[in-house]
Amino acid sequence: MSRKRYSREKKHRSGEIPTGSFSDIAFLLIIYFLVATTLVKVKTITADLPSGEKSSETQSDKTPIVNLRGEEVFFNDKKVEMKLLNERLAALDLGEKEPGDRVIMLESAKGTPYENYFQALATISANDGVVAIVEEDE
Amino acid sequence: MSRRVPQRKKRKAIPVPIASMGDIAFLLIIFFLVCSEVSKDKANLQVTLPFSEHVEKVKAQVVARVAVDENGEIYFDGARVENAKEVEAEVRSVLVDTVSDDQRHVQFKCDSSLTKEVFEPVLKAIAAAGGIIEAVGEKNE
Repeated sequence: MSRKRYSREKKHRSGEIPTGSFSDIAFLLIIYFLVATTLVKVKTITADLPSGEKSSETQSDKTPIVNLRGEEVFFNDKKVEMKLLNERLAALDLGEKEPGDRVIMLESAKGTPYENYFQALATISANDGVVAIVEEDE
Repeated sequence: MSRRVPQRKKRKAIPVPIASMGDIAFLLIIFFLVCSEVSKDKANLQVTLPFSEHVEKVKAQVVARVAVDENGEIYFDGARVENAKEVEAEVRSVLVDTVSDDQRHVQFKCDSSLTKEVFEPVLKAIAAAGGIIEAVGEKNE
């Protein structure tokens, strides 16, 4: 019995740290990171919406306005298609103007779907416009 | 001619060196740790994204994620919030230490079928808190 115990203890002392499974652990960690991370970046439009109170002194009547009434789009009270809106905004050459002159007012009627709102927002932003959301008077 | 047979057998017995596999694996882990960002999106969120030809891959680093699902429920960084005012307070708290515009980008994901009454207060809340909106959409092909 004593011999057996002695031999077992000796074996334990001389044993090395098992590193054979290190690569398995490492690859499991890689799989975890592959699953938990997002490599694909989402596609977005950037819109810096200024917030503040309406001022009749600073707001010119000539500020372009986009109206969304359900499925219909109006630019300066004229009905337009989304493509035509893009052309009209491109013609304004907003990129060359001062930040204060790039303002495009965006007004929407009740029940306007986000799909239309997003397209209008994207068109204005793509033409370097600064979107000012018009609030309805209560 | 008779010697060729044992030589071929010897070649087959050469072991593939796998001692460096662990090192390679750990290097890959370090790469993913440095380059990756843990997703904060709520996995089971039901959102149909709107389409536009003007969307581009997001360049800025977003500091917060706001989502409105098809039922009009609002989520801030994956956690449910009650209304737009809570979104404003949360965005304000995130942006309190910001020093540049690059740190003000807030991702906004909204279901395309929702109406103005649902999403506009959230958009205004983000804008009022000082966030630059990164509205998520799909590219029109």
